[in-house]
Amino acid sequence: MNLTKRALFTGALAASIAAGDAVPALAQQRVEIQFWHAMSGVLGERVGEIVKRFNDSQTKYTVVATNKGNYDEVINATIAAYRAKKAPQIVQIYERGFMAMLLSGAIVPVQDLMTEKKKQVDFSDFIKPVASYYQYKGKLMSMPFNSSTPILFYNKEQFEKAGFSGPADTWAEFEKQLYAIKSKGAAECGSSLAGDYFWSLMENYSTVNDQPWGTKSNGYDGLDTEFVYNKTRLVQQVARLQKWVNDGIIQIAGQGLSPQQLFTSGKCATYFASTAAHGGIEREPSIKWSATYLPHEADLTARNSSIGGATLWVMKGHKSEEYDGVAAFLEFLAKPDLQVWWHEETGYVPISNTAYQMAKSAGYYKDHPTREIAILQLNRGTPTPNSQGFHFGNYTQATFALREEMESVFANKKTPQQGLDDAVRRGNELLRQFEKLNAGKY
Amino acid sequence: MRASTSLSPAIPGPVVTAPRQRRPTPAGGTRGLKRSHFREARLPFLLLLPQLLVLLLFFFIPALRALSQSFVLTDPFGNSVQFVWFDNFRRLLASPEYRASIGVTFWFTLAQNALTIVVSLVLAFATDRILRGRGFYRSIILLPYAIAPVIAGILWAFLFNTAVGPISFILHGVGIDWDPNRHGIDAFLLVTFAASWKHICYDYIFLIAALLSVPASLLEAAAVDGAGPLLRFARISLPMIGPTIFFLVVMNFVYGFFETFAIVDAVTHGGPGGATMILVYKVYIDGFVHIDLGSSAAQSVLMMIFALVLTVLQFRYVERNVNYDV
Repeated sequence: MNLTKRALFTGALAASIAAGDAVPALAQQRVEIQFWHAMSGVLGERVGEIVKRFNDSQTKYTVVATNKGNYDEVINATIAAYRAKKAPQIVQIYERGFMAMLLSGAIVPVQDLMTEKKKQVDFSDFIKPVASYYQYKGKLMSMPFNSSTPILFYNKEQFEKAGFSGPADTWAEFEKQLYAIKSKGAAECGSSLAGDYFWSLMENYSTVNDQPWGTKSNGYDGLDTEFVYNKTRLVQQVARLQKWVNDGIIQIAGQGLSPQQLFTSGKCATYFASTAAHGGIEREPSIKWSATYLPHEADLTARNSSIGGATLWVMKGHKSEEYDGVAAFLEFLAKPDLQVWWHEETGYVPISNTAYQMAKSAGYYKDHPTREIAILQLNRGTPTPNSQGFHFGNYTQATFALREEMESVFANKKTPQQGLDDAVRRGNELLRQFEKLNAGKY
Repeated sequence: MRASTSLSPAIPGPVVTAPRQRRPTPAGGTRGLKRSHFREARLPFLLLLPQLLVLLLFFFIPALRALSQSFVLTDPFGNSVQFVWFDNFRRLLASPEYRASIGVTFWFTLAQNALTIVVSLVLAFATDRILRGRGFYRSIILLPYAIAPVIAGILWAFLFNTAVGPISFILHGVGIDWDPNRHGIDAFLLVTFAASWKHICYDYIFLIAALLSVPASLLEAAAVDGAGPLLRFARISLPMIGPTIFFLVVMNFVYGFFETFAIVDAVTHGGPGGATMILVYKVYIDGFVHIDLGSSAAQSVLMMIFALVLTVLQFRYVERNVNYDV
């Protein structure tokens, strides 16, 4: 390195140090709040917009949003950071991690925080299955952020071609339609199996039809809960799915292909998916589609479906002024106008009925009728112990076991009853392990 | 007399025992030299130190952590920890899923190893015979090694996808009911092919180099005696590259056991129904997705034991048939 180069280099270094100094100086009076989330792509940009709006709306706090990968990666990063005593203030954790977070001893319940910081959030106005999923002893533990529920997307032209005006309300009639669509050649396959079918076609089948998933009100009343879905009408549902797979009525997309593509390309006539799939499906102009409620059993009354998605948890061990900022940010999030914006941009449901009414009175659903289905479906009837949500420990692991067993059922290696029995056996072992570890905490 | 007691008479000193010899060393051989030059114990240790440090940081400390972790039941956040003795191991060994995973891993490493060695041997033999464009062929065969495992996995998954894959389209066309989403055996084959395809290049480089080192004079002599190329390969080249093949078998085994994780993750996620759930992928799923740290740690400890036992067995029984003295 000759002299001139070195001089240039040192100069640049000095300049960068000076610039680096200038930034914290500006932000010094603002309290920084770390927010780790799992939203990537367009959703990540929307989160960025929310944070920017909040930061611009006041001068005391700066929320820094960081995408830490997918849901699994976020919870892992959080755990690693917590163990290293460097946890962020706010983390976004999926619904299946509820019990792990609740009993972790690492969190501050959101409702307690909001009460302590005297923030006005009307929790009773929240859409019921959204609130009930994340409640413990009547109090909200984490702030609902992105909530969705599965609905039934369908290809209008293919239904008309087969002579139907739309999907039937009941499973029995709907099944006949799918077989007719295939046999009449209206579509190559009746339905595309989404990756989260265990949620849309199994858990939500149970909530809509008021079938228990576990004892003790699906785990709400104690850690000694046991899975019982192998003794309910779910067995019939799984038998139906197995038959569909065997008859080529439902297509498994497999690795390397997204199930949604099978629907949007017009190959399959229906697609059970989260209402948050709206964004992606609307961007595909190739098919004429609509959406409707999930089917139900003819002899049972259809109830509310259950939610999926994630909430924001507040981590323990931070300074009081940081918690002031956290509470202000969460209050900002719950504001109806922000919720309406979030709902319209992303397809997730708004968290409160006030926000829903605002969108409705602004005429949003006249142009986007399918966007309202999820909210109407969530608000159908009063949640029962079977439809309020799922409070099971080690639930990601238990769900994984269920999926593995379902794969054996789809491969005809096990009967629906055997598969569900094995899933329940494996799931119950995980529940007992969780109970042992957390004895006396719930 | 004197010459026979010490091989290097020029250097006096305590050459305690001559190393065990496999064959007579030519006069003035180099064997005695190594010992007498590094008489101090410090120098070799200092030279080894950097490598030992790396091993300590990236192997011994994590391994000890895993060992201690495998005896406890802990929540992900580490706020409640219970010492449970061998419960994690007992739970694993009693679980049909874990036993199935051992079986899958066994067949997978075996199939992958055999396929990789055989195909790369054929390729190496074939390119050895090519006169024109040898470099071109070699670069083509080496290409897969430059592809990241995840990308390779996605490529294979897409090509063989039941709904849209061009190759499965052909398979369906000839009447094969190919469906890796449902049939465990199809998924198993797919993962085995993808993993082997990715590793053939590695074996191929070593085999090509080994084949080049086979003395031309021997091959020419055999050719003069009337042995065809295949016979020359089987009788002369193959035995002479035995040590390389043995080395590759061990390396393939390590690869199949530990490094095929990304391919499984991209191609099948361990499914369907656990048909491709190899042990290392299960460690990942239980540890990093389900955050069952105790079980995951116990699994890594068991895996380490399996790997050690298998390597020792290989050296004991397979290496016996390898001749280094060529």
